[in-house]
Amino acid sequence: MSSETTAGPAESTGPVERLHIAGLHAATDAVLSVRDLNVRFNTENGVVHAVRGVDFDLLPGKTLGIVGESGSGKSVTSLAIMGLLPATAEISGSVRLKGRELLGLSDKAMCEYRGNELAMVFQDPLSSLTPVYTVGTQITEALTIHNPTMSRQAKEARAVELLAMVGIPSPKDRLRAFPHEFSGGMRQRVMIAIAIANNPRVLIADEPTTALDVTIQAQVLEVLHRAQEETGAAVVMITHDLGVVAGMADEIMVMYAGKPVETGEVDEIYYNPRMPYTMGLLGAVPRVDVAEKTSLVPIEGMPPNLLHQPTGCSFAPRCPLVSDACLAGEPALAPVAGGVQHRAACIKAESLGGADVDVQDVFAAPPVPVSRFDSIPRTERSTVLQLKDVRKHFPLTRGALFKRRIGTVKAVDGLSFDIREGECFSIVGESGSGKTTTLLEIMEFHKDQDGEVVIGGISNKQAVDAKTKSAMRRELQMVFQDPTGALDPRFTVYEVLAEPLQNVGMDRPAIRKRIMELMKLVGLQPDHVNRFPNQFSGGQRQRIGIARALAVNPKLVVLDEPVSALDVSVQAGVINLLDKLRAELGLSYLLVAHDLSVVRHISNRVAVMYLGKIVEIGEVDRVFDNPRHPYTRALLSAIPVPDPQLERTRERIILQGDLPSPLDAPKGCNFATRCPVFAALPPAKQEKCLTLEPPLEPVAPSAATQALEAAPVPSPDQRFACFFPDGELDEDMLVVHEPADHHAP
Amino acid sequence: MLKYLARRGITYLVMIFLTTSAGYFLAVSTLKPALLEQERIPRPTPEQVATSMRLKGLDPELSPWERYVEWLTAIVTRWDWGRSPNGAFINAEFGDRVWISTRLFLASIILTLIIGVALGVYSAARQYKFQDRVITSYSYLAYIVPAPIAYFLVQLGAININETVGQRIFFVTGISTPGMEPGWEQFVDMLAHYAVPTIAITLVGWGSYQIAQRQYLLDNVNADFVRTARAKGLTRNQAITRHALRVSFIPVAQSIAFTIPAIFAGGFFAEKIFAWPGVGSWSIDAISLQDVNAATATLAYGSVIFALGAILADFATTLVDPRVRVQ
Ligand SMILES: Nc1ncnc2c1ncn2[C@@H]1O[C@H](COP(=O)(O)OP(=O)(O)O)[C@@H](O)[C@H]1O
Ligand code: SF4
Ligand code: SF4
Ligand SMILES: [Mg+2]
Repeated sequence: MSSETTAGPAESTGPVERLHIAGLHAATDAVLSVRDLNVRFNTENGVVHAVRGVDFDLLPGKTLGIVGESGSGKSVTSLAIMGLLPATAEISGSVRLKGRELLGLSDKAMCEYRGNELAMVFQDPLSSLTPVYTVGTQITEALTIHNPTMSRQAKEARAVELLAMVGIPSPKDRLRAFPHEFSGGMRQRVMIAIAIANNPRVLIADEPTTALDVTIQAQVLEVLHRAQEETGAAVVMITHDLGVVAGMADEIMVMYAGKPVETGEVDEIYYNPRMPYTMGLLGAVPRVDVAEKTSLVPIEGMPPNLLHQPTGCSFAPRCPLVSDACLAGEPALAPVAGGVQHRAACIKAESLGGADVDVQDVFAAPPVPVSRFDSIPRTERSTVLQLKDVRKHFPLTRGALFKRRIGTVKAVDGLSFDIREGECFSIVGESGSGKTTTLLEIMEFHKDQDGEVVIGGISNKQAVDAKTKSAMRRELQMVFQDPTGALDPRFTVYEVLAEPLQNVGMDRPAIRKRIMELMKLVGLQPDHVNRFPNQFSGGQRQRIGIARALAVNPKLVVLDEPVSALDVSVQAGVINLLDKLRAELGLSYLLVAHDLSVVRHISNRVAVMYLGKIVEIGEVDRVFDNPRHPYTRALLSAIPVPDPQLERTRERIILQGDLPSPLDAPKGCNFATRCPVFAALPPAKQEKCLTLEPPLEPVAPSAATQALEAAPVPSPDQRFACFFPDGELDEDMLVVHEPADHHAP
Repeated sequence: MLKYLARRGITYLVMIFLTTSAGYFLAVSTLKPALLEQERIPRPTPEQVATSMRLKGLDPELSPWERYVEWLTAIVTRWDWGRSPNGAFINAEFGDRVWISTRLFLASIILTLIIGVALGVYSAARQYKFQDRVITSYSYLAYIVPAPIAYFLVQLGAININETVGQRIFFVTGISTPGMEPGWEQFVDMLAHYAVPTIAITLVGWGSYQIAQRQYLLDNVNADFVRTARAKGLTRNQAITRHALRVSFIPVAQSIAFTIPAIFAGGFFAEKIFAWPGVGSWSIDAISLQDVNAATATLAYGSVIFALGAILADFATTLVDPRVRVQ
């Protein structure tokens, strides 16, 4: 640690402030108590004030959720507490663990606490374990450091116990495995095992599930929950996802631009937010459990640059309620009248309480756009894209000199669906389920493909000449996940947008006119056309990507994870834009996204993929409200919703294990290895799942509706592939948290 | 593990066979020793030349394929690599020279590796401090300066020392003083001959290792897994020595595969400058003397060194990276 690090209040602050801090610390039985934590980094560009006055008390066994967008100072706060910041960081304030001051301790002195009473789990499990040591060695190391006298057998026994606790099957054998033999979810479990090895009093988890699939996220959150129960540790849970902490936190701290802007008991924050930023964040995330369609709350602009000390409220440039008073000094985090320990940093906090404040109005959320196609029945609209039994199998080979074929990866295995005019069709599924390969197959458009792809009436089987292909390309355009990678930094926006127009042979004045149109269409200022991509924010860059896709007036836009690289507040604006464009231009979308809330919000129809096959497909509200396939049910149940009361009580299905390797895809139903219904079936019925492949069949209309109507009712738009949709779920895979666990103080 | 190495070994044997055969065909069809023979004075008759060549197994009348079969049969059945146009036996000549080259380079390679890696670690630990700047600047200099020039400089330095002391301490050329009795005297004489070339090659060689090792270690110093190790309760230095160091050795171990052949390949400069009659200088001579068999033999030697380098690199990688063992 740097010599500039101030040893608590004693060195850096005057006597008055020292008393102030001592007073603030007084009389709590908090395990971890942070006061006026400030972190500054000296960089080439100047001093970055990354954390500005963080205060909190964490009581034993409780959970504090720290929420904020990327760059808001969450990780720096946690690393400052752990004493893991680089030497260039200037830290001031006070961090007390059970009353002992940690700031200013030397690296060596901190080692007594780190990994012992104070432990941490990091974001990226893939890089957080040392690749050249076995998992066992790395767990044992944590034990050795703090218990030098412990015998080898005792350490090994404890390591096995820890691995079992975090849910790693056959833990004894797995001790000798290397990290690369584990999946991301398994590695995160190992990280948790290491963190709880010495029964910490405080466990900090910094975005522990951000890099993981939803199903694996649910597993890891469950493991964290269990770890907390076992050790009785207090937890600091850091996340950008308001859903993740809703069910587990007792208190929430919302951070913006390095500063806590709202803190309080969890229900207060979710149900009675008083700071416009918190309100915006809550309104900006779509809900997977709500069918009613409202536009998302867009928070315009982007977070401030931490190089400049704000003169007023740091949220002012983006706040819809900003007034002159907001610019006169930064509002302090002040208690909210009537709230339980509820504090907000907004001068208008008092007036924002109550039922009559509608966040949609406050943030001027646009009205829900209506497409002219919405009123036309689906079957009467023309088909823009159709897939018939498309397959993509990759041979899997081994051996350097002489390749042997050892199997086949069925990345896409018999996919059929169609997209009609004006509709958004989404494909969801865990990573590795074949979504990207499906998109690539559609873009490939080659006559030798296995299966038929029809785009705007042209089949790939006719795609022999370049002309047919370019006609198809004009019908279908793509928007990529990473807006930065997809735009060449050497070209101005004008050049980026002009390229597809030149390709179709448009003349210069027409191109210029079209580009101005496009800029307005996607909500960018037309006079910014001569800027380079790096002069725009992530959200704006994604808008440029959308404008480029729309340049040649395609019928269908393929969106591959269009918002997953964006922060929530920015994401909302892009989603609203996509919604608006679909309605105004009559576009169709093919969307691939892992975020099911986003999918529910903007899609009309959805397909759930598992190991290269569609297991359930249909109208989005039907599939989400009444999922029939056990995988769809598990997937939906894995998504945490930003509603603490619901989260605390709801029953969740925790799938066991990871997506199996597509190589050992079973003969019957692909999903049998993880299926919660299968696990609870009697052996006779299990036999059926294991030998027969369930076909994709429509949901039968309920007997009641059949009886009421004289004529046969057409079956609803929902098909699924499972023999026992009404089977009971296996109890081991069902989790309900005791409400008592998490009763706020 | 053994099976893995055995498999690699067989792959390399096949590779050596193929390159050597291809080399033979190339040599046989481009090198024409008979032409040189005709320039002798008194000029021999074409019949004389042909007879002399046939006796040495270099019959220019035969087709390349026939000569190849004959050459290969001799190697496979009698381990006889043929003769030079001047009548010398390749086996005998080669035997001496291989030993000389190996002696010249073995010590340098080991020293280069150890010093390069050690200095890399040392300078990484003192990043941007004075020691680091000196060491790393030197490495870049050694990297840029052409090897022959550096060898000359070292040679000059040794001569200087000899002159300053007023006594011949180092030999700057040759491999030994002829006619020494075995014993202490001979040993000292050997050291005096070895010192200058070994130091020269080592001084030039370690730079690239130092730069690579320093960079790989610095890349890993702030790795996520080092942070994890610190979060467990290790100090920064402990975390780096126990976790980052081992990982940073992996790419260095892999690079041995290229460095060893490179040192040998560049060896003919050293052999020429320090007048060590090794394989490197021989290979150059072989081409100018239109010597088919010698040229092919040096090529075979080169591929063996290449394979050895690769096997050593595999071995070293396996040593530092246990993941390779698991596969
Ligand atoms: N070129 C390839 N060779 C072998 N397997 C591949 C290849 N491309 C994709 N796969 C496999 O296909 C499966 C589906 O991959 P992908 O389409 O990327 O899924 P998703 O988009 O859902 O992440 C994965 O198991 C992946 O490993
Ligand atoms: S203080 Fe003013 S600008 Fe800041 S959040 Fe409150 S209303 Fe908005
Ligand atoms: S068919 Fe059987 S294994 Fe497959 S999803 Fe249905 S119940 Fe589960
Ligand atoms: Mg993908």
